[in-house]
Amino acid sequence: MPSRRRTLLKVIILGDSGVGKTSLMNQYVNKKFSNQYKATIGADFLTKEVEFEDRLFTLQIWDTAGQERFQSLGVAFYRGADCCVLVYDVNVQKSFDDLNNWREEFLIQASPSDPENFPFVVLGNKVDVDGGNSRVVSEKKARAWCASKGNIPYFETSAKEGINVEEAFQVIAKNALKSGEEEEIYLPDTIDVGSTSQQRASGCDC
Amino acid sequence: MKGGFSAPGDYIYFKSQVPLHKIPIGTKQWRYYDFGPKVVPPLICIPGTAGTADVYYKQIMALSMKGYRVISIDIPRVWNSQDWVQSFEKFLDVIDVHHIHLYGTSLGGFLALLFAQHRPRRVKSLVLSNAFLETKYFAAAMPWAPVVNWTPSFLLKRYVLTGIPSGPHEPFIADSVDFVVAQVETLSREDLASRLTLTSDAALVGPLMLSDSLITIVDTNDKCAIPQQLKDEVSERFPGARRAYIKSGGDFPFLSRPDEVNLHLKLHLRRVGVEAREDLVPGIPKAGDDGGSGSGAGGFSEPKDDREDAPNEESNPESPSNNEGQPPLDTQNNDSHNPDNQPLLLEAIFEKKEVVLATCAWHFMLQFFVIYYQLPVSLLILYINNKRHPHIRLFV
Ligand SMILES: Nc1nc2c(ncn2[C@@H]2O[C@H](COP(=O)(O)OP(=O)(O)OP(=O)(O)O)[C@@H](O)[C@H]2O)c(=O)[nH]1
Ligand SMILES: [Mg+2]
Repeated sequence: MPSRRRTLLKVIILGDSGVGKTSLMNQYVNKKFSNQYKATIGADFLTKEVEFEDRLFTLQIWDTAGQERFQSLGVAFYRGADCCVLVYDVNVQKSFDDLNNWREEFLIQASPSDPENFPFVVLGNKVDVDGGNSRVVSEKKARAWCASKGNIPYFETSAKEGINVEEAFQVIAKNALKSGEEEEIYLPDTIDVGSTSQQRASGCDC
Repeated sequence: MKGGFSAPGDYIYFKSQVPLHKIPIGTKQWRYYDFGPKVVPPLICIPGTAGTADVYYKQIMALSMKGYRVISIDIPRVWNSQDWVQSFEKFLDVIDVHHIHLYGTSLGGFLALLFAQHRPRRVKSLVLSNAFLETKYFAAAMPWAPVVNWTPSFLLKRYVLTGIPSGPHEPFIADSVDFVVAQVETLSREDLASRLTLTSDAALVGPLMLSDSLITIVDTNDKCAIPQQLKDEVSERFPGARRAYIKSGGDFPFLSRPDEVNLHLKLHLRRVGVEAREDLVPGIPKAGDDGGSGSGAGGFSEPKDDREDAPNEESNPESPSNNEGQPPLDTQNNDSHNPDNQPLLLEAIFEKKEVVLATCAWHFMLQFFVIYYQLPVSLLILYINNKRHPHIRLFV
């Protein structure tokens, strides 16, 4: 029987404090939303099993602190990321302007092997607020930015109403999978070591 | 990167900063590190068969600097699970620690689970890597268990080492394997025999009182000596546990992926309500430089007085013996010149048995021991040399 080991896909969510990173993750994984704001401290992750093209994957989603002073855990969680989700609040201009910094920060910390083609996904969150009346970043502007950064997929979401959350994470998982599989080709540990593992047992051939 | 093993710089630094404790309790000798503010409930790390307290040096360094208290132990010479539970309990009493958080890897994970089962009030949470729930698979892979007590040290080492997957690894994993192999060289025959007995003694982990939410499973998602099936059993037993998978890292992620393991340990401790006391961390000299102001023991443990010593029966608690001696991994092996791990083994044997043999002594020695130990061991040698480990690679 084949082992049940599943491919692990690692996703990192970045963005300014309060844009709804934790809420989006909770909506996607637990189908829950809370109006209360509790700043994330350091980082935390949730896992979700996803099925895709008849295969099972473990999605490990890392939620990080938007507030710099809470970034106490170092950057180990960046390691081996397969997809990075950049979130902003469509009602807060600054959170959109900061996307560029988050993207660059990610590329520096994670230093993916092929930064040009590393998969990002951008989410414009809180589209439900005020029926869209307090919105300051237009969809057009957001899409233009995404296009300029190598056609990053873009979704307008509401963690509160569950709008587009499932759809966005499907694309996130799909793109993570693509980059995860490409990366695996280069991993030395995919070489089968079964037959060479006995070297030590075969005694001294000196 | 083959060839003689030399201790990594951060390990040498660790040895210079963190005192090793050795105390006898009852009939057992305990060898452990205990570092970080004493007011914090400790995380106690329990290694696998091939490990020693030293394999967690990266956790001790990193977490103590964040204000956590980390204790790491050698598995003492216990011969069955009951013996383990009782001895470990006595140890905790002697070092005056009541509520604990355990991080167990491989055999250490199994031992952590057993202790949590039998002493539910003491164990507040568990972190497990490559753990398993029962020994029967290992027992089946070790039909010669009954003669383990008559088996010479070099064969036990050899058996343990064959359990560590060798072969092409990426550099960090290769280094972690080298480190552990060097640690195995420091183990005595009795250490190895007791651990192998422990692994093959029929025992299984019963129901725990601990809630799943207080368990984190830090497994690596790549090849590892513990069969996937056994790891799956652990996940299935604790469906509500946190699954902190790491993409790769082999058998010793605490050495090969220390940042990620430390992150998961910190997250775990935070979740289960352990408060780090960064305020009690003495002015830490930056790793790598002079170590100047290091006199370093604010709320920390005693200054570094004790070091590794030769197997030495007597030493009193609290003021461990001061024998001069070297950290097990240091330069002593550097003169080795051969391209693989054989020299380590041979050297150890030479030292132990004081047999002076010329270069290619291996077959010669086998014969020597066959004569010496007669039948059981010769069977064992045949077994070990011929087995191509069809299903189960040993623990680690
Ligand atoms: N109306 C509305 N409110 C939202 C939405 N998403 C999040 N919120 C609210 O916005 C606040 C901040 O959400 P969080 O998910 O905690 O934000 P965060 O990005 O995780 O913030 P940090 O952890 O500080 O980085 C909370 O009060 C949420 O209830 C949304 O889609 N619509
Ligand atoms: Mg948050």
